[in-house]
Amino acid sequence: MRTVTWIQRAAVLAVAAVVITSLGAAAVRGAGEPVKNPETLVELQFGDVASLDPALAYDIYSTEPIWPNVYETLIMYSGSSLDKFQPMLATEVPSLANHLISADGLTYTFPIRTGVHFHDGSVMTPDDVVYSVRRFLLQDQAGGPAWLLLSPLLGVDSTRDDSGKIQVAFADVARAVSAQGGSVVFHLKKPFAPFLTIIAAWTEIMPRAWAAAHGDWDGGPGTWQKYNNPKIEDRYAFDHMNGTGPFTLERWDRQAKEVTLVRHDGYWRRPAALQRVVIRSVPEFATRRLALQQGDADLVVASANQQSQLRGIPGTVLQDNLPQIAVQTLQFNYKINTEANPDVGSGRLDGGGIPADFFADVHVRRGFAYAFDYAGNLGGAYAGKGVIPHGPIVQGLLGFDSTVPVYTTSREKAVAEFKEAIGGKVWETGFKFTIPYTAGNTARQTGAQIVKDTVGALNPKFQIEFRPVPSSTLISLLLAHKGTMYFLGWFADYPDPHDFAQPFLSANGYFPVRGGYRNPEADRLIDEAVGTADPAKRKALYKQLSMIAYNDLPYLFLVQPVTYYTMRSWVHGWYYNPIFPGQYFYTISKR
Amino acid sequence: MTAVRSSTPAISLSRTPSPGRTVETGWHRTLRRFRRNPLSVLGALIVAFFVVVALLAPFLAHPTERNPFMIPHSGYASDPHPPGPGHPFGTTEEQFDLYYGVIWGTRTAFVVALSVVATAVAIALVLGSVSGYYGGPLDELVMRVTDIFLAFPGLILAVVIVAVLGQSVRNAVIAIAVVEWPTYTRLLRGEFLRVRDMEYVQAARALGSGDLHIIARHVIPNTIYPMLILASLNMGGIVITFAALSFLGLGAPIGYAGWGQLISLSHNWIVGTAGDPFTFWYTLIVPGTAIFLFVLGWNLLGDAFRDVFDPRLQGSR
Amino acid sequence: MTGFILRRLLLLPFVALGVSVLIFSLLQFLTPAMRASLYIHDPKQLNALPDIIRKYHLDQPAYVQYWDWLTQVAHGDLGWSETAREPVADAIRGYFPATLELGVYSFACILALGIWLGTQSAVHKDRLLDHLSRFTSISGASLPTFVWGLLLLMVFYGHFGWFPPDRLSLAAGLFVRAPGFHPYTGLITIDALLNGQWWIFWDALRHLVLPVATLTYFLTAVLVRITRSSMLETLRTDYVRTARAKGLAQRTVVDKHARRNALIPVITLAGLLFVGLLSGVVITETVFNYPGIGRWGVNASQQLDIPAVTGFALIFSGLLVLGNLCADVLYALVDPRIRLQ
Repeated sequence: MRTVTWIQRAAVLAVAAVVITSLGAAAVRGAGEPVKNPETLVELQFGDVASLDPALAYDIYSTEPIWPNVYETLIMYSGSSLDKFQPMLATEVPSLANHLISADGLTYTFPIRTGVHFHDGSVMTPDDVVYSVRRFLLQDQAGGPAWLLLSPLLGVDSTRDDSGKIQVAFADVARAVSAQGGSVVFHLKKPFAPFLTIIAAWTEIMPRAWAAAHGDWDGGPGTWQKYNNPKIEDRYAFDHMNGTGPFTLERWDRQAKEVTLVRHDGYWRRPAALQRVVIRSVPEFATRRLALQQGDADLVVASANQQSQLRGIPGTVLQDNLPQIAVQTLQFNYKINTEANPDVGSGRLDGGGIPADFFADVHVRRGFAYAFDYAGNLGGAYAGKGVIPHGPIVQGLLGFDSTVPVYTTSREKAVAEFKEAIGGKVWETGFKFTIPYTAGNTARQTGAQIVKDTVGALNPKFQIEFRPVPSSTLISLLLAHKGTMYFLGWFADYPDPHDFAQPFLSANGYFPVRGGYRNPEADRLIDEAVGTADPAKRKALYKQLSMIAYNDLPYLFLVQPVTYYTMRSWVHGWYYNPIFPGQYFYTISKR
Repeated sequence: MTAVRSSTPAISLSRTPSPGRTVETGWHRTLRRFRRNPLSVLGALIVAFFVVVALLAPFLAHPTERNPFMIPHSGYASDPHPPGPGHPFGTTEEQFDLYYGVIWGTRTAFVVALSVVATAVAIALVLGSVSGYYGGPLDELVMRVTDIFLAFPGLILAVVIVAVLGQSVRNAVIAIAVVEWPTYTRLLRGEFLRVRDMEYVQAARALGSGDLHIIARHVIPNTIYPMLILASLNMGGIVITFAALSFLGLGAPIGYAGWGQLISLSHNWIVGTAGDPFTFWYTLIVPGTAIFLFVLGWNLLGDAFRDVFDPRLQGSR
Repeated sequence: MTGFILRRLLLLPFVALGVSVLIFSLLQFLTPAMRASLYIHDPKQLNALPDIIRKYHLDQPAYVQYWDWLTQVAHGDLGWSETAREPVADAIRGYFPATLELGVYSFACILALGIWLGTQSAVHKDRLLDHLSRFTSISGASLPTFVWGLLLLMVFYGHFGWFPPDRLSLAAGLFVRAPGFHPYTGLITIDALLNGQWWIFWDALRHLVLPVATLTYFLTAVLVRITRSSMLETLRTDYVRTARAKGLAQRTVVDKHARRNALIPVITLAGLLFVGLLSGVVITETVFNYPGIGRWGVNASQQLDIPAVTGFALIFSGLLVLGNLCADVLYALVDPRIRLQ
């Protein structure tokens, strides 16, 4: 009566087959095993490519395939250096010495290399260089990187004014960047010390003919307005690439979240060693780790608190403590919009809330600064991966100065400051408010917890809560000036102290616009420091700015993080430069 | 598993409702039938256990935060720690105590489930009674609207609603209630339709009793049993949906005492370390067992209710 | 019959309209700034928000935006999904085959296992098999899909390494996406066989084992219970008793007579199973990082990608209506007592 039906038999066979074939594939590859896929490098990260158009992409995941792997710029950082350049698509690096930078610092001349072929076979000319830069300036997608060059070249941050009307003329752009013989000449509005670093990372060259043939701007003076502020999907260059770099785009599979590059054999230098590169986005850490373990992935990116699970895997190497030109901060909102604001409690200094100008009092800010547990934050939120910064000018930048003082945890000093705050009223009445932080960001959650614990321990009347919000809500809060304190980070656009001083301390810098910090002396120093080319002079000026940041205390500088990559030991030729958005595959080989 | 709506065939009681009171004999009989089945008793015991835990939560796990539903941190290290002194069940990543989370998570489960049921029943009482009692085009309209809502797989509708309203426990409750109300409404409407044509209701109408009076006194009391069955079978499903939402990052925030939230924190650690894949087993097993037992208890109890209150289905068990 | 089918098909556009209205009415809760934040990745791009709001007409009232969307759809354009970085229609077309493959294998397993186990349970009532299957079905209904999935991952992937998440291994994935491979159906198991690549077939199957096991557990449990109770009822009926009395073998009785009638309520369940599958797919794909429509829908919802969410919702509700229609038609075909009016 217990008859074995054919269904049962089939099921048993199927299961057996699957099990048997699977067993064969589960081995972990250790050291000394032969290289898997020697011609292909596979990198697994966890971000999303937004666009492959060099004029419009502004996040590190998009720019990794773009620069310097598929597109190249006029000059390049020399090895791991952040301030020494070598020629790339230009044949010389402009300087005062070789007179390619004019004495007044307003004119830069780049002689353009000949005999360089794009991926479609056409030859690069100075006309293509001019077109690419003008396109970068004029397409100016909302939220894109165009302001980086618009600012020094045209003196504005956007081609459009606040109401959306175009505010630049083609003639200005034509004057700012033009071809002269075999060179391309830039005319600046004012002397701008970091100009070369911006050129090095943000002037990717593409052919004009190719772009125009595929529905993009043709370079003409009358038509450019139509192409201004495009929707992300409207450009052929969104998902097609044509540059001069050592790799070409084979395809961007948006569903598999995978970008595949293949070697460009007509590269103007010696072709790359790798035949193929695959960059894949895998949000699941466990999958990335196992792929590395089994040798299917060659290089894996992970976050700081996952490093413990990546140590000690046989056949792999962990490149640790790679410095980043970045800083994580906790920011005060000097003028909180208390209307319909759930985070300010009663909106008054009555023990049940905070008033709009609560953080405008320097004693309040100092109280928070002395109470915070910096070491605990670094150890807990960042797994110890980083250093405590000395103000906005971080390590690796010109002007970094380790003698600039930092606030250290001191309970007595914190108590003393709070007792003086707002004429002593803060200590008597107490306060209550909530810190909104980006949901899912455990580092920031830990930071908020620390603020609550440390400040709350000083006086039972100090009540601080924190709540997670989706990033879309945080952005709304920032826009409406409703947040109380913000956990925000800043990553370098280019490795110059101006890229840190300005967003943090200038009146129209990103953060002061959100938080309300103002100091005209800082503005003056920033303008002076960016206008002079003398490094010694700049160092002194940035030291003064760091001291202003210390004394005014608009932000708590929490951590300058370091990063790490884990890769198979058969990966050779890899090197690190903090300004690279991702890996530079040209020098890598697998043996 | 997500809340599969209308997972039970349409329930309707065929016995004649008696407006009189023969409660005592009826209850005795019911209780006896209940006790006969060991699984029903098991279900009742499990649910009772969880009720006790939920009620005693502040004593079993002392709250240290202002909001007792936020799990206390001990330190800021990110790796989960195994069970040990001070942490009987271990900790999740970011050092949230699993024991505290599971105890107060019981309260969360009850609060959420009861809120959803209450909201769905409230809506159903209004819409279902109006629709069933008065019939006609109003009934048609209500039925079409429930059609549209039922055209969405439940979890997906909940995901969309929470995504728009923002992540919070309150919004998750709203979302799940929006998913569940059509089932309750349809059930109530069915009951109303059945009762509307009964003789004693017609009689009451003839005698001049107001509609509201009839609804309140005759119709609603007789719909209690089917609602009870549906609600008790639904409790487990609601908690699972809420846990699923938290797991997707759309329910309780990180650090909130909710079982689904605790499990979402285990996602990164299930493959353990390079040496031992089971290093962090407790981050999944502890909250997973809690959910499993809770839902199991309610499923058994709901089954028992159905068997006991619906004699027609008894033979099919 | 045809009339019935046509009338039910007419329900489709009505439901689609209702669903889209539902989604767009939820927009009332979103500020334009929140919707615009979909397009920026970093607070340093904050200044661009007014520009973005203008560019995408996000400050128009909800009904205006809805009308714009409606006219766009009338021209066959479902809009652009920012999370998928491609048009919504393309994203759906791209993600759907993965979910279809998962769904087809799951559905087959649920039916096969559920019916078989339910029948055996009923026939061998109160024996070991019956108790085991009843325990499994009760526990299946009590264990959330994602807990079960994580458990399976922990044991069979973390420990044994047999069944990995995702749809294909890296090597197989590269091969499938390379120009030499022809995607005939979009179902990788079938395409692999059609391309003659056995190793890809096994690879894809290996990756399907855990998601299918997760997805089917709960629904198989439900099906076992229904089949069992239906079978029990049928076995008690007069005509079955007569068949037994006539001396027919148990096997014939069960297979020929009982099963057909017992399957009637099972078929009514088919629609419900389908709904359950669609719901379960969302969680399962997220747990196993399986690149299907469920996972994409969740991502889109989390990031407020409204065109994607709308497209995703339309597809699911459309599938549901069709699924229920099929179930009803099957029901009418199987049970001659039913006449669809």
